Amino acid sequence: MTTPTTTPVAEGLFAETAAGPRLLGSKCTTCETPYFPKAAICHNPNCNDSKLEDAEFGPHGKLWSYTVQYYPPPPPAKYDEPYKPYAIGLIDLPEGLRVLAQVSTVDPESTVGGADVELVIERLYTSPEGNEVTTFKFRQS
Amino acid sequence: MREVAVLGVGMHPWGKFADKSITDLSRTAVEAALKDANVAWPEIEAVSAASSRFSGGKGWGLNGNDIVEEMGSTGIPVYNLSAGCAAGGNAFNIGYTLVASGLYDKVLVFGAEKMPKGMIQTSGVEEETDPEYLRQVSVGMPGPAFWGMLCSQRMAEYGTTEEQLARIAVKAHDNAVHNEYARFRKKFTLEDVLNSNMVSYPLRLYEICPISDGAAAVVLCSAEEARKHTTDPVWVAASTVATYRYDDGIPRGLASVVPPARTHHSEAKLAVSKAFDDASLAPKDVSLVELQDNTVYYELAFPEEWGLCEPGEAESLVEKGETTPVGSLPINPSGGFLSFGEATTAMGVFQVCELAWQLRGEAGERQVPNAKVGLAQTLGLGGNGTATILKR
Ligand SMILES: [Zn+2]
Repeated sequence: MTTPTTTPVAEGLFAETAAGPRLLGSKCTTCETPYFPKAAICHNPNCNDSKLEDAEFGPHGKLWSYTVQYYPPPPPAKYDEPYKPYAIGLIDLPEGLRVLAQVSTVDPESTVGGADVELVIERLYTSPEGNEVTTFKFRQS
Repeated sequence: MREVAVLGVGMHPWGKFADKSITDLSRTAVEAALKDANVAWPEIEAVSAASSRFSGGKGWGLNGNDIVEEMGSTGIPVYNLSAGCAAGGNAFNIGYTLVASGLYDKVLVFGAEKMPKGMIQTSGVEEETDPEYLRQVSVGMPGPAFWGMLCSQRMAEYGTTEEQLARIAVKAHDNAVHNEYARFRKKFTLEDVLNSNMVSYPLRLYEICPISDGAAAVVLCSAEEARKHTTDPVWVAASTVATYRYDDGIPRGLASVVPPARTHHSEAKLAVSKAFDDASLAPKDVSLVELQDNTVYYELAFPEEWGLCEPGEAESLVEKGETTPVGSLPINPSGGFLSFGEATTAMGVFQVCELAWQLRGEAGERQVPNAKVGLAQTLGLGGNGTATILKR
């Protein structure tokens, strides 16, 4: 028996910091444009001096809108069987970033547009080997 | 730039055709367009084709080369255009440019598709540097979820009802009953639509287009050539291509900026605005619109984003029947993507066929009375948008 491990769904997207969960992105110090995930260069056509530095985003945001996904997504997305509908939202962060993420709820149909939400790192699915694969989600507070 | 006319159009019906190859579908559409134009294949001087990711084209999107080999290798130049679901619109734009520039007098534009089974994955790349791939693995979000989020935001802002959404699907099928090329030609009642399964809230199964096989072709020519064939040609008033803006509020990967104002589908809006400018026409001049209705939501969002109606007004236009062929703003008299299903890269060419039939007054029971100006639009992966305006 091997001990089950927890693995992030992708490297360098999010982290559990001393202050709590954060999204790992970058920000252009010239024009203040935020990027998630990290960008190598500023994409703002009006910015004449791309200067990107690492930035952490979260945990607070507002749910701009949401949907409930009633059917399983096609590959390469993975989920626990049997499939259970979940909410997906567009979350506006005070840093000027609009992020796509699953909304963490007990009942996805109780999601409310415009609600205050908070970043969490949670299980996305459990692999056939028993490893927990985690992703970033936003929880309705 | 020279004036360009649509000399001939042709289509293969949309549907699922297990026993036919993409070349079979393409040949039917191309032969129909040549016959309609009264032009023989050897007269075609260049081909502008939509590249398919799913079928034919030797796996490289060389679908234009396939059709030239099929029709007869005359040695003409071939342009294969890739722009996701906007590829048909892009192919039309390049075909138009080849004639308008004076390089060629007769050009064939075509798009054909045989789609794989089931829900398609948007990106063809499985790398963490690909934003679409990263979104699929970390959020698990198929296309309809995007439309669902935009639609539920609209409901919150304007009070759009589920019944209003369903009415758009009912209208689409009412039109398709009269279109021999449509895949679904059955009438749907409001109850049929409202009882169909919820896919991505608030959008139901019959409010989202499925995928189909299909092919469409157009013969474009110079004014001089057109006048040899007809005294009253259908003209290309404008053909434009655009890409999305940096400040667009729809994330193309995992995030976007929070836009300064309501800025969505900027690639479509830019293409349509430029088309009106190029054609020296205004939204009020439009007799009919063929827009990319992957979902009923777009029939509410696009008209206001392009200035065809006021923000929040589209719902009442739907309720009053103004978007039917006999209304003040006819939208998708063909039956649209909802009734055809999306044969992705063929759609931009299919729209031009419908505009041409409407402007010639050959659309039968779905005819828009006195149609003079038609607008068509596509939207594709990568932030590609196209617009076409035809006039009589
Ligand atoms: Zn910058």
